[in-house]
Amino acid sequence: MQPIYHSLEALFNDLPLKDGLNISFHHHLRNGDATQNLILSYLRKQQLNDLNLYPSAIFPVHTELLTLLKEGRVKNITTNYINGPVAEFLASNPLPGQLKMQTHGGRARAIIKGETTIDIAFIAAPIVDAQGNAAGYDGPSACGSLGYAIEDSQYAKKTVLITDHRVEKLPQYEIKSKDVDAILCVDSLGNREGIVSGTTAITKDPVGLKIANNAARLIDELKLVKPGMNFQSGAGGISLKVTDHLREMLRARNVKAGFFSGGITQSHVEMLNEGLVERLYDVQCFDLAAIQSLKTNPSHIAISASDYANPDNQNRVIKNLDLVILGATEIDLNFNVNVTTDSYNTIIGGSGGHSDTATDSFVSLIVTPLFKARTPIIKKRVNTITTRGKNIDILVTERGIAINPLRLDLLDRLKESHLPIYPIEALLEKAYAYTGIPQEYDLRDQPLGVVEDRDGQIIDTLYTKKRR
Amino acid sequence: MNNIVVGSLESSDCLMTLSPHESRKITIESIVYDAYYEAIHQAITTLLDEHNLHQVHVLCQDKGALEYTIKARLKTAILRYKEVRS
Amino acid sequence: MSRSFLFIPGDVPRMIQQLEIFSADSVILDFEDSVATHQKDEARNLVESFLTQHHFTTPAIYVRINATDSDEFIADMQTLKNLPIKGIVLPKASLAAIETVTKHLTLPIIALLETPSGFLSLPDIAQHPSVEGLLLGAEDLAKSLDLERTVSGEEILYFRSQLVLTAKAYHKYAIDTPFTNTTSDIGLLEDIKRSRQLGFDAKAAIHPNHISAINQHFSPSEAAIHEARRIMTIAEKQQSVRFSLDGRMIDKPIIDRAKKTLDLAKRYRLL
Repeated sequence: MQPIYHSLEALFNDLPLKDGLNISFHHHLRNGDATQNLILSYLRKQQLNDLNLYPSAIFPVHTELLTLLKEGRVKNITTNYINGPVAEFLASNPLPGQLKMQTHGGRARAIIKGETTIDIAFIAAPIVDAQGNAAGYDGPSACGSLGYAIEDSQYAKKTVLITDHRVEKLPQYEIKSKDVDAILCVDSLGNREGIVSGTTAITKDPVGLKIANNAARLIDELKLVKPGMNFQSGAGGISLKVTDHLREMLRARNVKAGFFSGGITQSHVEMLNEGLVERLYDVQCFDLAAIQSLKTNPSHIAISASDYANPDNQNRVIKNLDLVILGATEIDLNFNVNVTTDSYNTIIGGSGGHSDTATDSFVSLIVTPLFKARTPIIKKRVNTITTRGKNIDILVTERGIAINPLRLDLLDRLKESHLPIYPIEALLEKAYAYTGIPQEYDLRDQPLGVVEDRDGQIIDTLYTKKRR
Repeated sequence: MNNIVVGSLESSDCLMTLSPHESRKITIESIVYDAYYEAIHQAITTLLDEHNLHQVHVLCQDKGALEYTIKARLKTAILRYKEVRS
Repeated sequence: MSRSFLFIPGDVPRMIQQLEIFSADSVILDFEDSVATHQKDEARNLVESFLTQHHFTTPAIYVRINATDSDEFIADMQTLKNLPIKGIVLPKASLAAIETVTKHLTLPIIALLETPSGFLSLPDIAQHPSVEGLLLGAEDLAKSLDLERTVSGEEILYFRSQLVLTAKAYHKYAIDTPFTNTTSDIGLLEDIKRSRQLGFDAKAAIHPNHISAINQHFSPSEAAIHEARRIMTIAEKQQSVRFSLDGRMIDKPIIDRAKKTLDLAKRYRLL
């Protein structure tokens, strides 16, 4: 049985506090997470330095991290996604060490292989039982799956659960008691509204609808809608609309899909309940409907980041994907995709599962407007490579579709198509007809870090942003 | 004389403000500054030349307007500016 | 020939620069009701600048001008004089208004019927050689007549039918009023089906998301295309305008209609 603590002082009396600690967090509480701030503010009061942080993602709510950065106490950050003030700070303040941007699968791989060593994993756990088993599908701070925290719990030297809800016994759980070293009880893990994110609304924007419609017609012509098809879509509004079209196609043809994986939303759950898909493999719940379903439906299965996307794991779910729908901030003439920085070299996100799913899926399809305001999305060279072009198959925009010339098989299937299919260079010209040709500019200043692909290969360098 | 203000700060639009100034002055604030500053500046200069306007301050607050919008907003502003001054 | 006419406010760049992607057969850039009085010059300059820089074969571009008796009319005419547009949409259409417009422009006119007096002179309007179509403006008409607008639209049935009758009598296009509720998908579909039933050739829309349903319902159905193909195949093979198919007599009017169906299907890329 693990010791149970009710104060940070008591907890840290028993933990090896020292400069240079490697500590990890997960991001299942998203922008409602209070636990990372809680821990980091304590470490700050202890005057710790040279910290190495491994949060699976960083959100605007993570303000204590910003304070630690400003005080120069953080040496390295390894994460999969950064959004908000921390990203803005890093744009002009390089770390003493470096920023490493990984993928969801790559993070799990690095932890299991020992490339990432975690001294203490702090795991926000919405529900914990008397044995010390933990899950995320219930309690006042329920977030659904805890998929991204499982390798942390198994491989960290010390695993600390942080919880605001304890029960006698959990019928199903993701974090196992044997992997847990301590439990910290707090009043609340965070803010409900921030935990269940608001990003999962299906687009109503006419441009987005046009893109989704083009994508759906293309998927149909590629004959990807068939019994047992395995599918994943991001939680962006356009991706969700494509999922909606898929639902109509499955319904109309009386076809049942195999599995949907990744981030799960109400749409996915409705399709499961309607019998349009066999199973949901869930690494992250995006809304309350998904959380409720995970709790009650045995065909809705929580999986770990490694079982989801670790390239070394031969049983990873996404290996069997037929189709993944993804977004892009930029895509270049070689089909490299950037979702890490914007076109003006500010970090705005990160791979998450982008590169993982694009690489594994039989078809990876990008949905994006051809230009946003005046910024063309197609570039000669992306500002940052998040996913290598050889792993991106199709670009769908409101004004046309481009197929990666490497995919001769797809081009062959589309020979008779009436869809507006062009070489990607022609799509760029279409964009320029509206935006004009951008002037040359280079906003790279000092080296900030690297983009590490899922297999550990460094595929690009990150820089701070040059100021005018 | 009051400033002339045309356009909006909505996405894909720009807010063009004209005010009297001893010489021609162009201020550009743009979300696409790095990629399109030259193009925006050129469009503004050309139109000011066409309308023979030299003693004016043009403030262009740009939210990613395409060139046709920049030109249209400025043209409207110039015509109003001239009307008020005549 | 268009199935769909999409209104786009003349002063919103975000919408104007997307006009080619909404699948509307025609787009109506609006100078009138969707533009505030103090922004009329902004709209004119924006549309002028856009259409000078960007050219389109599809969709066909129309502009709804301000009424001929408004302060904006002359300036609208000045702007449109040199622009490559397909035609204009004339609000509060009357014979006098049409004649006023034709003094300035030779473009085809779609007459927007939205006043009681306009309806009383419908045949005169329809017969005018510059008028290519009649468009019902049910919202303003309902206001003038104290009609209470409903989703099902019983109150405008008479005007819809009268407009269709007159348009067809003089071989002009009959274009139905837009469905103005942007949240009811079911209401939209019912409204489109009713337009089609009543004989309209096309329907206007005030929201891009309405266009695909309009296009779908105003296109020849798959069954109709299939039958038209069979009829034309036999007609061409037998070089005959009178034969029987599935026990039904086929004669020249039916063959002409089959040909029209196939022409439309081809135009709308349904073949």
